[in-house]
Amino acid sequence: MSASAASRLSIWSARLPWRSLAIYTLSVVVAAYLLAPFAWLVLTSFMTEAEARSVPPHWIPEQPTVSNYLAFANPSPELRMVGSRAIQETPRALLNSALVAVSTALLNLVIATLAAYTFARLNFRGSRLLLMTYLTSRMVPGIAIIIPFYILMRRLGLLDTHLALILSYSTFTLPFTIWILKDYFRTIPRDLEDAARVDRCNWFGMMWRVFIPISAPGLVAAAVFAFMFAWNEFLFALFLTSTIRSKTIPIVVANFATDLDVQFTFMAAAGVLAVIPPLVLALLFQRLIVQGLAAGSVKG
Amino acid sequence: MRIVPYAARQGLVSSYLRRLRQRSFTLSDSLFAYVLNLPALVVVLALIAYPIGYSFWLSLHRYNLKRPDLYRFVGIENYREILTDRVFLNSLTVSVIFSLLSVGLILILSLTFALLLNETFLGRGVMRSLVLLPWAIPGVVNGMMWSWIFNAKVGALNGVLVSLGLIEEYRRWLSSPTSALLAAVFAHVWNMVPFSVIILLAGLASIPSELYDSARVDRCGVLQRFRHVTLPWLLHPLLIVLILQTMNAFRTFDTIYILTGGGPGEATNVIALQTVRTVLDFTDFGLGNAYAYVIMLITLVISIAYVRLLYQRGSFET
Repeated sequence: MSASAASRLSIWSARLPWRSLAIYTLSVVVAAYLLAPFAWLVLTSFMTEAEARSVPPHWIPEQPTVSNYLAFANPSPELRMVGSRAIQETPRALLNSALVAVSTALLNLVIATLAAYTFARLNFRGSRLLLMTYLTSRMVPGIAIIIPFYILMRRLGLLDTHLALILSYSTFTLPFTIWILKDYFRTIPRDLEDAARVDRCNWFGMMWRVFIPISAPGLVAAAVFAFMFAWNEFLFALFLTSTIRSKTIPIVVANFATDLDVQFTFMAAAGVLAVIPPLVLALLFQRLIVQGLAAGSVKG
Repeated sequence: MRIVPYAARQGLVSSYLRRLRQRSFTLSDSLFAYVLNLPALVVVLALIAYPIGYSFWLSLHRYNLKRPDLYRFVGIENYREILTDRVFLNSLTVSVIFSLLSVGLILILSLTFALLLNETFLGRGVMRSLVLLPWAIPGVVNGMMWSWIFNAKVGALNGVLVSLGLIEEYRRWLSSPTSALLAAVFAHVWNMVPFSVIILLAGLASIPSELYDSARVDRCGVLQRFRHVTLPWLLHPLLIVLILQTMNAFRTFDTIYILTGGGPGEATNVIALQTVRTVLDFTDFGLGNAYAYVIMLITLVISIAYVRLLYQRGSFET
């Protein structure tokens, strides 16, 4: 009797799903922490300004509207009048950001592929020092070089151009791109390289037919990182751009945020638009990004 | 003449060939290697190394863009000035407090999240995708989003806290020095946690599962298992998180610039923000460069620790 009670008790304590209970409770809390702030922004972007400013604040729009988004494409005359310049500048800024980010990613791939090959395959004097130089340059804070960089670009007449942004972003993303590609190139069997040599490919042909296709995942991951860095960057854009010729979306969002007159719902909509490209990339290439981030910092 | 056995000769020849390959290939390979590295080197040297040097040179000058007539060499005058400058010392203090709070919170949160996501449960895949969300959000949007959440009149935080009965009335979070600093820390941490979670998850994945099995055989409790198996293996990733996040916190700029603009007063005026203000608002390039150099020296010390750490793990073995 007492034995069966004891065994029932032990069954009870074993079967009670403490572990899952703890895990699911914690999951809900963590998910709320990660999701709620952004959800608040997205939901606000579908509200009318009056609703967004009503007290007490609520989450679900009562009369959902897309007018905040439509305003960017076609600002109404009154909007032009009271005018937030930021509203008119948003579409062009998105375009500028896309141009700069794509160019940065492509420039990165070309330059880094050349350099990464040397670390993966060639045995040369100073290779370690060179790799260290790249790695250390990645550690230099942008704020430390922004002033001379600004002076340099002014002298070259490149202020307020896309090129200035692309160059500055490439310097920050190159080391990481080289690092990732180097690791990918090392996994490529030498036999394939030799086979390409036998087929009388020159070096570029060999890279194009062997290295590039095999390391496609690495190239994609590196391109995504470079794109996201360039898309999100604010400090250099603040110094180097001055007109809508080259202003990127973070600058325009900042203009929204520091402009007291602007309606918050427009600002929220602009914020959501600015988040969409990096967010889509992050979700599409989740696996590659996670591998890349881990590889870039945990192991060499 | 001694006759060397065939096998030994074979070994000698191959080792000689190997040595020959290692050495003699170096010359032509080196040339080729440097040609291939040229574009990357030009970019890094011209756009990072040269500005670093130039920045130091400028920091030794009185140089205000609005008063070019006053441009002259002043030696370490700028540095002497900032060491006694109340605004600068305040921003340094704010940065240190901000970094300590941020890094501490990031370590706690990312360790918790990573341990959770390392378990197997329904919905883990979704959670792992969700973790990337804050990481993808640009710092500027992050600052704007949180300024709306902390808004005194219609912010989500006041709404949630009042409806839960945790506070009586709406608070002006960004108007008091302490809560504004905490708000900045919160916003920064939210943005930075995913990166650390990913690094820690990779570290957790590298722990051999046999270790857990043997811990189970030894009837280790959850806490003991954590202390004796998980923690030692996580030490290295944790150090990396610590170093990278300290560096991140020290140079952070965009979120705070939008969220508080350094206020109220100078309560959240971190050193990067103060540098940008000195340059953009007061166009004082000489003093601004001296600020920038202090930030660089601090990050340099941290990054040396980082590179050494990678070195110890043999990441540079070629």
